[in-house]
Amino acid sequence: MPQPLAYVPLDAPFSPWNPGALPLVVYIGIVCGVMAIILFLSGFLTRRRPSPAKQQPYECGIIPTGPGRFRYPVPFFLVAVLFLLFDVETAYIIAYAAAWPELGLAGYLRMAVFIIVLGIGLAYAWSKGALDWDEEEGL
Amino acid sequence: MTSTADQLFRPADAVINWARKNSLWPFFFGLSCCFVEEATAWGPRYDIARFGSEVFRGSPRQADVLIVSGTMFKKIAPVALQLYEQMSDPKWVISMGSCSNSGGMYDVYSVVQGSDQILPVDVYIPGCPPRPEAVFEGLMLLQKKIDAGERPTRPVLHLPGGSQGGREDYLVDGRTKARDTRGPGYAGIPIRGTAATEPRFAGSRAEVLWTPPAPGLTLSREQEVLAADLAAVYGDEARLAAGPDAPGDMPTFTVAPSRIADVLAHLKHKAPTRFERLEDLTAIDETARKTPVGHEATAVYTLTSLSRATMVRLLCPLQSRDATLPTATGVWSAANWYEREAAEMFGLRFDGHPDPRRLLTHRDWVSHPLRKDYEGRATNMPAFTREDCARLAPVDAAEILGERAKDGDYLLNFGPHHYATHGIIRFVMALRGERIKAMGIDIGYHHRGVEKIGERQTWHQFIPYTDRVDYLSGIANNLSYVTAVEKLAGIEVPPRAAYARVMLSELFRLSNHLMYFGTFLQDLGMMSPIFYALREREMVLDIIETVTGGRLHPSWLRLGGLAADLPEGWKEQVEAFVKIFPARLKEYHAGVTKNPIVKARTKGVGGITAAEATDRGVTGPNLRAAGVSWDRRKAMPYGAYADFDFDVPTRQNGDCYDRYLVRMDEMRESLRIIKQAAARMPEGRHLSADARYCLPQKDAALRDIESLIHHFVNVTRGPRLPSGMAYAATEAPRGEQGYFVVSDGGCHAYRMRIRTPGFANVQALPHIIEGLSIADCVAVLASYDYILPDIDR
Repeated sequence: MPQPLAYVPLDAPFSPWNPGALPLVVYIGIVCGVMAIILFLSGFLTRRRPSPAKQQPYECGIIPTGPGRFRYPVPFFLVAVLFLLFDVETAYIIAYAAAWPELGLAGYLRMAVFIIVLGIGLAYAWSKGALDWDEEEGL
Repeated sequence: MTSTADQLFRPADAVINWARKNSLWPFFFGLSCCFVEEATAWGPRYDIARFGSEVFRGSPRQADVLIVSGTMFKKIAPVALQLYEQMSDPKWVISMGSCSNSGGMYDVYSVVQGSDQILPVDVYIPGCPPRPEAVFEGLMLLQKKIDAGERPTRPVLHLPGGSQGGREDYLVDGRTKARDTRGPGYAGIPIRGTAATEPRFAGSRAEVLWTPPAPGLTLSREQEVLAADLAAVYGDEARLAAGPDAPGDMPTFTVAPSRIADVLAHLKHKAPTRFERLEDLTAIDETARKTPVGHEATAVYTLTSLSRATMVRLLCPLQSRDATLPTATGVWSAANWYEREAAEMFGLRFDGHPDPRRLLTHRDWVSHPLRKDYEGRATNMPAFTREDCARLAPVDAAEILGERAKDGDYLLNFGPHHYATHGIIRFVMALRGERIKAMGIDIGYHHRGVEKIGERQTWHQFIPYTDRVDYLSGIANNLSYVTAVEKLAGIEVPPRAAYARVMLSELFRLSNHLMYFGTFLQDLGMMSPIFYALREREMVLDIIETVTGGRLHPSWLRLGGLAADLPEGWKEQVEAFVKIFPARLKEYHAGVTKNPIVKARTKGVGGITAAEATDRGVTGPNLRAAGVSWDRRKAMPYGAYADFDFDVPTRQNGDCYDRYLVRMDEMRESLRIIKQAAARMPEGRHLSADARYCLPQKDAALRDIESLIHHFVNVTRGPRLPSGMAYAATEAPRGEQGYFVVSDGGCHAYRMRIRTPGFANVQALPHIIEGLSIADCVAVLASYDYILPDIDR
């Protein structure tokens, strides 16, 4: 019956328990190598025979009209971005409210500045019409 | 040595081929009937996923097999080529259906005689349409070909030699492809005899045959009042056609061309009987008549009075085929497309028409196809080649919208090849954001010249073509055609045949509405309903197959009756279906009708008012959803419909949800009719005894010589019908389908006009869609239920 192998820890430089630069470098090296192989194979094994028709964008089988890059009003996107912007402050305010007794007047003043600055931003966005759902022109 | 290297690559070849053949990604290019069977192969009964091809791709970038299914048209061929060229390598092509392989039965000016003239086809699937099983046969054949014939390792490793991706060349007319309609191998042998084509078959004994005159018309009291009113207002400029030659189907007035717009407006707004709808507008080229009529062309206007359930026809004799008429677009907006069509097909001109462009044919098309001196058969015309593809490439989107596209609009092509267009049609949208500001429609990508073919086939021979006019409604199409011809010649249909016709038409209505149910919800984003709907649809098709022997296109009606008697066992099958279907309908309602997402996407979306729908000639369930209780089966019964007890479902808003509900209710009513027809099916003959026009019953033809002679004559040369004209419309699943047949006393129609529901319905789409968002537009298209061969004909 073979003896169970004794536990031999990895050399210090490769041990996950002793963070260091070397494991990271080796890891990066492996990743780069794998990526290079994948990119090379997918590039090499594909047969490319470019033709004018193939280079064109697909548009239901016919030749597209006009360029594909232009100003495109996306009202939903704008509203979503504004929501994110003005929603994040909630996280700060709740954290601040929870720590209210410790922070005292100094904290109150700092928070007030933060909210006033945000408020000015909201007023500006509002006055520019960013909250109007304008499909015609976007913002 | 190369051979040793090749030996070395064999295993790699086998591995690559194995991987490729078992994961084929088909890209559909669905043109017509074949595509329905191709799509059915994807359904639960057939399950194409077993064959290593999971889902049909809608874009050429994602696919490696192009399946061209159905008739290739000169206007769509450049699109097919463009899509093929946009596919990635390696790629293969399957050509499905006899139309795609060779033009099939559509040997007519607008059809390409085989997609292999512009595309290199690897596998042909024969049939019209091939069954879903045939799609698998085709796929398996392609798999075998890949396995046996391809050596992909060398090209994959960028070495010279090897092969992959099917053929690369295409067939060249006259060199590798024969256009002889007798099939291959006849080159150099002259064609004998004369082609049996319209207008005359030289030496035909039909010329000396006597036929009784067409039945005349006795005017009702109301019609007399109308005639008196027109005579009082317009005098000799609107004469009632009288005498033995007067059409027997409806009162017909001959109107001076200059006054036509006035007469139409009078009939719509002031006459004692108001005609609210322009049923049809077309023309006849009179130059090839057996007995000259004294003018070169006739414009024909057919009107329907919804309030009084009656019709009237106006004829405008024109001295020249290039003559000018005042436009009727001011009276009915529906006249727009009808006039454009008459203009391009016959060369007429309409003064004051807002948009006098070609509609069905390409902008660069030369001459007018429905003129009698225009070549009817594509096999007699120069071959359609790759060079022609460049010449007839689809026009630019901006040209279709014209002035309505403004600066800053984004022009989007929605079609011709797109999942949500339900066929080959092109919508061009001017977008601002997601909002559709203006919409233009380009049709004719599916134009199979059926009317021209109808003027060349004998009265019986044309029946199979009618099946394919609306490829989801089979026998319901036959019914419209035979009803018109029977009206023209005064043929009586025995009661058994009339009942069987009703039963089969209603079965096809079910089949059509089931397909509608599935595709409508699929377009809204629900996947399951189509699988349920296809399951039930297969049950309907099984009944149809038992009775007729065919699935989509039974071609089972004949002048005066049916092709054969109902077979043993039909009744049990119908009864079994009638028993289970109501529960299935309930399932549909439970899963879909109350679904809040379906409601949110369809309620209040894309509504049309009753007045607007009538003005634009919208018919069928779409009209009834807008609140007009008009159904030909009830209002002007034809066939045996007067004997049946059923209701006409209507709704009020005319929006997507209502259009859907009306069709769901119609399925229930159809089931009622089928149940009654099965229970009360009369005994007796299945074909009229009128041997002059009708085929004898087959068993009689096998027993006595008289019947055999009639069978022979009516099958080969065809019956000779009295000269005259008749229009008959029936309530097909998608709306009113009418056939206007003109005979000059021959074995072929002199003029065959098909009034299809889709043409008028789709014409109204921009009115409904402009102002909606793209997502809503898809909902409207899906709820609208149109079909392309029926629009383009």
